[in-house]
Order: sequence, then structure tokens, then C-alpha cells
Amino acid sequence: MISVKNLSHSYSEDEKLAVKNISFEVENGETFGFLGPSGAGKSTTQGVLTGLLKLQAGEVFVASYDIRKVQKERFNKIGVSFEQSNVYGKLTARENLEYYAKLFDVPTRDPMELIHLVGLDGKENVRVGEFSKGMKHRLTFARSMINYPELWFLDEPTTGLDPAIAATIKDIIREQTTKGTTSFLTTHNMYIADELCDRVAFIIDGEIKLIDSPKNLKLQYGHKLVDIEYIDGGKVVKETLKTADELGRKHIAEIIKNHEIQTMHTKEATLEEIFIQVTGRELVYDETA
Amino acid sequence: MKLLSNYIKEMKIAARGFYFYIEIGMAVLILAILLFAVSETSTSSRKQFVYSDMPGEITEYLRDRSIKKGEARLADPIEFELKPATFEITSQETGETTAYSFDDEKTIELETLQMLDSSTGELEETLYYAETEEDMIRLAYSEGEIGATAAMDPYGKVSYTYYLQGYETDRLKSLLYASHSESPGAVEAKQDRQVVRTLGVSETLNNRENLVPLFIAYMGSLMGFFIVMAYIFYDKDEGVIRAFAVTPASIWKYLITKIFVILTTVVVSSSIITIPVMGGQPNYFLFYPFLMVTTFAIASLGLLVASFFDNISKSFGVMYVIMIILMIPAFSYYIPSFDPLWIRVFPTYPMLQGFKEILLNGDASYVLTYTFAFLAGGLVLFALADNRFKKTLTV
Repeated sequence: MISVKNLSHSYSEDEKLAVKNISFEVENGETFGFLGPSGAGKSTTQGVLTGLLKLQAGEVFVASYDIRKVQKERFNKIGVSFEQSNVYGKLTARENLEYYAKLFDVPTRDPMELIHLVGLDGKENVRVGEFSKGMKHRLTFARSMINYPELWFLDEPTTGLDPAIAATIKDIIREQTTKGTTSFLTTHNMYIADELCDRVAFIIDGEIKLIDSPKNLKLQYGHKLVDIEYIDGGKVVKETLKTADELGRKHIAEIIKNHEIQTMHTKEATLEEIFIQVTGRELVYDETA
Repeated sequence: MKLLSNYIKEMKIAARGFYFYIEIGMAVLILAILLFAVSETSTSSRKQFVYSDMPGEITEYLRDRSIKKGEARLADPIEFELKPATFEITSQETGETTAYSFDDEKTIELETLQMLDSSTGELEETLYYAETEEDMIRLAYSEGEIGATAAMDPYGKVSYTYYLQGYETDRLKSLLYASHSESPGAVEAKQDRQVVRTLGVSETLNNRENLVPLFIAYMGSLMGFFIVMAYIFYDKDEGVIRAFAVTPASIWKYLITKIFVILTTVVVSSSIITIPVMGGQPNYFLFYPFLMVTTFAIASLGLLVASFFDNISKSFGVMYVIMIILMIPAFSYYIPSFDPLWIRVFPTYPMLQGFKEILLNGDASYVLTYTFAFLAGGLVLFALADNRFKKTLTV
């Protein structure tokens, strides 16, 4: 569905590259996560893929279209959910969706169905200018589904949403995936990537460091851990120990034998911990970005 | 369909914003001013400084004759201040230049004669009689008005030497020549033999009508230029251009609907002003196409300028300069004697003249020529703006 070969991009059109010679492919029906901190090159890559930025170097095919050629009809197959909500404040939620529906040449979804899907029932006739940031974000997300997209670009789809709404959005993405929609998810949030993505790419400083499935990454880089709390000399002691490690296993056995255990949980390394391990960088998110 | 959908959306947004109502409100306000505060006849009159280089008795005789015929009346003498000045005067006949330099300051009192329209009795021109030719020249220079020396040749014929400011049109100069080419008596005799027919069209606009081209041209150009930019920056601020860019619809459709909204507003506001003031006199089949193509051209310029900036505050400098440039031809429109060639380059010059011709039901070929010129210019500007917007959509 997406094929990127040797893509580079510079905003100043010189050697200062925001994206440096990256290559990857996204298969049909796959949910592909593009992960990295702010300024890593995620939005630039998505900008080139969606045609908002001009392709300067490399080859990019999106939904079977060579994006070097101007073919606006490719957007009939594509949906884009922007990180920053961008809907008309002077139009109502319904008018916004009805307007966008008319811009496509393919059958479109019922605006009311989408409004219901993202939990904006009862707000359809309210001008979007009166919406909260989260409500606008949900409407922007809903709009991206108006044309039954085969390829769906999702830029930070749950940012700024309360946990209940974020869970609803994740459920919608999962449901679309089961229907065969290919998703390109751009995020700094490793938890949502872990939950939703078939494969993830770690991008930092404009370069892709690795691409694999979250499961393989955990097998390759992660270690099973045990969080243990026990009483030692009247005090509560907390330790995290690696079970893959012989020394760790012996230490766990020694604690169980000689101390009173308060709590004990096994856990896997998170994608975020693996990202830090692989890239040496933390996923600091800039709210202003 | 996409174009219609875009247009409906834009009209909804415009109707829910304040720019639309500002323009309509402005049109109503202008109409009210034109109908209730501006008289049809002009209250302004020309001034002329005169030095009579003739025996006092002859000057008095000519003056009294005009007063008796109801063509003039004496008014209270007026005081003028003369200040130090240095300037040159070039003779149009010989090309010789004479330098003048005055260091003194003085106050002089001039006899004043008001020339009247013989049919209506309204003030047409005020003549101020200077004691010396030098005073007359200094006054013409300092007041920026026409000066004249009236003299009598050995054959008893009155001749005039005019002192102009230098920017007067050839038309005005020719008029001055023609008005004195024959003796007043001969002119009068010719006038008496002329058969005057009133044509079905009026040849000039009255004072109120004369303001209409100015308001229409600037409502269409200045307001169209500013408002289309405001619409674009509003959309840039909301990010909706990027959302539009990822649909199958073309950017030009998005841009042209902005112009359609401006055209709708301008047609409504211009009709509010024009129809009540001008009635059925103008050729509306020329008026509306000319109004639309001029608005289209200037609004396209607004789109092009907007494509270079992220927000309205960054564009203020360029916007201000362009608006000033567009306003300059208004001086020429109001001061017909100020009509240099360079001012005709500004697009609002043919706009003003074109609207004037339409309202007069005058030179249709001039209007049609500029209708096509503005259409062609507008299409070029629009194509450039479209190209710019395709390139400048950023993440």
C-alpha cells in the first residue's frame, strides 16, 4: 500500500535534512506505527506521503500512485486525521462533514453515523467554534473516515483526549483494521503503538533505526522482569529483577526463602523502554509541536 | 458540484462572519450619505488670480458690464499672506525660463469678483485682482491656482497670459486657448446662432453621481483585496486549507470560491449604491461584467499576496503599500488637472475611468477594452496564486 525508497527531505532545500534517505514498505491491511520524539521527522514523512510536502528525493508510491505525479484522485482512497484539529469553526459538526463528503468522487459515509461513532451525539448542530479541543479532535478524526479510506493516515489520534474517549478511538481504529483498512500511525505514544500496530518503525533525527513488530522487538530487546516488595529488617524493600538473568533468578529465590513478600508482579519491557535502549533517546513530547 | 458545494460553504461562513455585513453596512451608509448629505450640484468653485495690465477705466468697464449682465458680483476684499519663495517659470511658447525669488513677507488685500453661472446664478469661479503682476504670480505659486495677466494690444483686443502649475492636462490648456481665440463678442455671436439639442444621455455626472465610480471601484478593489486575504488567513489559521489539500478537489476550486464570495458581496453592495443614485442611466450590461472582472483581478492579486505569508500580521506591510498604490488614481479622478501619464499605469485608474464612462453611458469601447484587459490580468494573477498555493501548503 505504501512503498518508500530513499526518501530525503529538506525544508531549506539544502544539506540540512529533516528526513534522511529512509526506506520502508507498508502492506495492505497492516497498521504501521511511525514512532519517534518531536522533531524526529515523523510529520515530515507523513507530509510527503500525503502530498502536503513536495517529494524532493526518492521514490514514493501511496495507494499504488506515484506521488511525484499530480493525481488528486488518489485522495479518494486516502483519509488523513491531523494532529491539530482543522475544521471550520463557523460551521456545525454536521455541516463540516457534509461539506467534506461532497469533495470526494466515491461513496461517502453518513455524517450522522460518524458523529455518533466518535461520541458527538447531540452536538451535530452546534458550531465547531464552540467545541472543546477534544471535541474538535474527534470531529477531525471522524472526518478522516468520510470516504471509507483504504489507506488511513493517523497523526497522534489520541493526543489530548481523556482515557475513555481515547479508548473509543482505539476501538474504532481496531475495527477499521479488521475491515482491511491500512493505517499509517504517527505517534510519540508507545502504548498506543504497542496496542494497535502490526509493525513499528523507530525514527530519530530523520533516520529509521529499526522496523519490526512490537512482539519481535520485545523478544529481541526486552527482558521479563519481576517487581518484588518484601520486608527486610522491618522495612519494605522494592526491587525489579530480570528473570532471564541467572543472578536475578537466584536473588528472587533467596528473597522468597528468607523474607516476607508483600507484592510480586512479572512484567515485560515496554516499547518505550526498548526505544530508549535502541536509540539512546527518550520520547519527550512537545505539546506545542 | 464541488465548486457549488465550496461556494455554499463559503457563503455560510461569510454570512456567519462580520466582513460580509461590514461591506453591506458600508454600502448602506454610503448610499445614505450620497442621498442625504451630498448635493447634486457642486459647492466648490475655481479660483483665479488676475492682474489687469490695462487702464483702470477699461478694467472697471469690463467688470461693470459683467455685473450688469448678471455674470458676476463684487464680494468683500480678501487678505492673502505672501511669504518668501523661489521658483522658475517656463514659457510654453518660447521655452524661456525666468527665475523668481522673493525674500519679503507681506499681507495684501485683493478685490474679489465672483463669476456666476448665468442660468442658475451659482458661483462658478472667484477672481482675485492683484495690484502687481509679481503679486499675482506669487499668489498663483503659493496657492497652487491658475494666475492670469489680462492686457490690451494696440488694436484694442484683450489678450491673456496664463500661469499654470505645470501638471495641467492638454485638454485644459486647449480649453484656455479656445476660450480666448476670438473676441468675446464673436464667441457670443456664434453661440447665438447655435442650435442646442438636448441628447438622451447626459454628458457629465452631477456632484453626487461623480462620487459613485469612486465608491464602487474602491469597494470592489480595496475591500475585495483586503477581505479575500482575510478569508485566506482565517483558513490558514484554522488549518482547513491542509484538510482541503488531502481531498480529490483541486486547490483552484477552493480559491475561486473565495473570489465568488467577494463577487457576490461586491455585486450586492455596488447595486445598493448604484441603482438608487443612478437609476436607469448606466449601461448595466457593461456595468456588471466590468465590476466583476475588476473585482476578480484585484481579489486574485489578494490571493497571490496571501500565498506569501503565514498570517495577516506578517502581510500588513505589503498589504498597506498595495492599498496605497491602488488609492493614488483617486487624486487624478478628483483633480482632473492632475493627470500625469504614470498614474494611468495603476489598475484603479482605468477602473475609475471605466465606471465613469459606464455611468455616463459613454465610451463603450474603452470599457470593453479594459473589461478584457482586467479579465486577462485577473486570470494570470489567479493562475500564479494557484501555483503558489500548491507549493506552499506545509505540514
